[in-house]
Amino acid sequence: MKNKNLILLKMLLDSTSPWNVLRHCKDKKKKGRIIGAYVGLTILYLMLMAYCLFSCIGYGRIGLAEIIPAICALTISLIAVFFTFFKTNGYLFNFKEYDMLMSLPFDAKTVAGCKFLYMYLKSMPWYMSISVAMLIGYELYVTPSVVTWLVWMILTFILPVIPMLAAAFAGYIITRISAGFRKTNIVQTVLSFGVVILAFSSRFFIESMIKEDKVEETLVNASESINNVTDKYLPAKWFQLAVTQTDILSILLLVVISIALFEILFFFVGRSYREINSKLKNHAASRKFSMTGQKSRSVLNSIAFKEFRRMTGSTIYMTNGSMGEFMALIIGIAVLFIDMDTILYKITEGAPVTKEMLYPAIALIVYFCIGMVATTVMSPSLEGKNYWIVKSLPISGKVLYQGKMLFNMYMTVPFASFAIICICISTKAPLLTSILSLILGVCLCGFSTTWGCVCGIKHMRLDWENEVEVIKQGAGVAIYMFPNMIATMLLVVLVVALGTKIDQNIIVGALILIVSALAMIFYKKAIKLAEKQA
Amino acid sequence: MEKKAILEIKGYSKVYGEGKKAADNVTLTVESGDIYGFIGHNGAGKSTTIRAVVGVLDFTEGEILIDGHSVKTEPIECKKITAYIPDNPDLYDNLTGIQYLNFIADVFGIDSAKRMEEIEKYAGLFEITDSLGDLVSSYSHGMKQKLAIISALIHEPKLIVMDEPFAGLDPKASYTLKQIMHEMCEKGTAIFFSTHVLETAEKLCNKVAIIKNGRIIDSGTMEDIVGNQSLEEVFLEVHDEK
Repeated sequence: MKNKNLILLKMLLDSTSPWNVLRHCKDKKKKGRIIGAYVGLTILYLMLMAYCLFSCIGYGRIGLAEIIPAICALTISLIAVFFTFFKTNGYLFNFKEYDMLMSLPFDAKTVAGCKFLYMYLKSMPWYMSISVAMLIGYELYVTPSVVTWLVWMILTFILPVIPMLAAAFAGYIITRISAGFRKTNIVQTVLSFGVVILAFSSRFFIESMIKEDKVEETLVNASESINNVTDKYLPAKWFQLAVTQTDILSILLLVVISIALFEILFFFVGRSYREINSKLKNHAASRKFSMTGQKSRSVLNSIAFKEFRRMTGSTIYMTNGSMGEFMALIIGIAVLFIDMDTILYKITEGAPVTKEMLYPAIALIVYFCIGMVATTVMSPSLEGKNYWIVKSLPISGKVLYQGKMLFNMYMTVPFASFAIICICISTKAPLLTSILSLILGVCLCGFSTTWGCVCGIKHMRLDWENEVEVIKQGAGVAIYMFPNMIATMLLVVLVVALGTKIDQNIIVGALILIVSALAMIFYKKAIKLAEKQA
Repeated sequence: MEKKAILEIKGYSKVYGEGKKAADNVTLTVESGDIYGFIGHNGAGKSTTIRAVVGVLDFTEGEILIDGHSVKTEPIECKKITAYIPDNPDLYDNLTGIQYLNFIADVFGIDSAKRMEEIEKYAGLFEITDSLGDLVSSYSHGMKQKLAIISALIHEPKLIVMDEPFAGLDPKASYTLKQIMHEMCEKGTAIFFSTHVLETAEKLCNKVAIIKNGRIIDSGTMEDIVGNQSLEEVFLEVHDEK
């Protein structure tokens, strides 16, 4: 008889594999979309590989090739934590087919463990892209032996396990605590954001730890900085020792501790798995409702309200969809209490950037957070099997998507405005610049909403098994997010540089015109797509 | 054939976090060869009880035994001999029908020859053989229900637990399922199922339990419960009374 873990794991992979759909689907349009998604993903992997390779070349040119293994280990670990933490809730707990799987003769530990391994395998192409590119970069300068290649590649499979387990453990604790509350999703979201704040603050804590080691004066190059981090984060150190010195003890430590931690975590998760899922999936009807005056809304507001309820009903949607707004809020509050020059000094690591130089970029900095993800990218796909509800209503596609766009505007504009006003106050920006920044912020929200909607409708996918597939792994999200983030970063640098030559208000004014024109174009495109769909 | 208790629910209670009792001291026994109907209005506690029986839902008090094994302490032993058909089967849309059935057969360790025979037999009876190579996402609700039923039957369970099994089935498939239920019972399988179709329950079941607000308000053999009335009349009577 085959191993049950393998049977379940294979089935989990097959059931979400586009390749399986491609083999058996007869719909040519769907097949085309899948091939397109494969091409898109390959491009993203290649872009990531190119970035990693050029980073290694950079390190090699300044004589720091020896730190490449440690950087590789740290990069993979960080990505593993980030990828896992926001997926745990949807993959390990409260998933759609829970009843079906748990009614089969699998123990809870097997189900939870396989779900974790599924997450691990799904993320593996990202880790591999980083690892292979960095190994090639390392090869260019160090010319390691065949054994190094072999150890490097094998340990790449082990390296993400510990950070993934740490993130899964945090997710497990959050889910366990929140399962006891009636408003589970709200509690989960608040706790998740709490962990994110903690993680961000820990960066400064780690920095101060490094400084306490009396190495502040010697922290003149990245090499020592990385060595300090690897001293604190042992799996990275083991990886480095394993690949640079073929240290057998380090290899064994990394492998054995990863497996041991996996077994320990899933022993505990398995013991409380049914209890947690029972609490998450079942809440008794209160039966206390009494009919009182019901508020009526316009159709658009009603759709926007439906979107709001959809979001608050899903922790994954809420944490991912409102992360930007949350960050903008934190930034807004932070700049009111911490001197802007101190923040700038920290971020730019002493580069000669003054707060006055930032004036034309205020709205863009806020937009970097707010525009990270738009709900309009995800909401078309998130209709999923309930799509028939909106399709059967007597509303046009135009109205439906206008409602979805309205919700994103309701979400983004207040937070963007708050953060912009706070930064303007903190940097003592002139009144006109502040007003223009505020207008630009609103225009950027409009752009994010409409561009997101175009991506969301174009790459709409209703046949998902788990919300994570469209929220974190959807083609629409990737196409929206990456160019948007890169363009925003480049624009920040560009306007700061231009601001030293041209009147800053003229730059912001020009941006308002460009962004509002783009928002209008994408709005028309979104409406056209919506009508076509209807 | 000697009767043996296959499913024993003893003082089972389920209290939700808010303090509401979804099931309150439920006690019943399903013996081998029984077709046991579980009836009650919407929200009475039928599905909650069924999900606890199949080991999906944790419960607060009581004991549930399947062929002498405790659902709480020996869940795997219980699940090996149980088949569950939910009211709205959440099957994997991106698998084909045959891939799903093979998965279930693998989990229950059914050898190739046996699985071929069983799948051919039941897929033929439910007339979905031609669709087994298609993705589940292309199936109608009724076809998904048929696939879930086939997956429940191929491993020859001792206990079949079904939540509204006839919902979504066409008349022929309903008839086929009833025939299969009779055949399985003759072989000693116990069947425990919930339904709102009282006529079907009356014709099909030899035992019945009526649940209201989480409590069993009447249970026993169909003859004892119904007497000279119809099950519908009895149900409405006891439901309004107690």
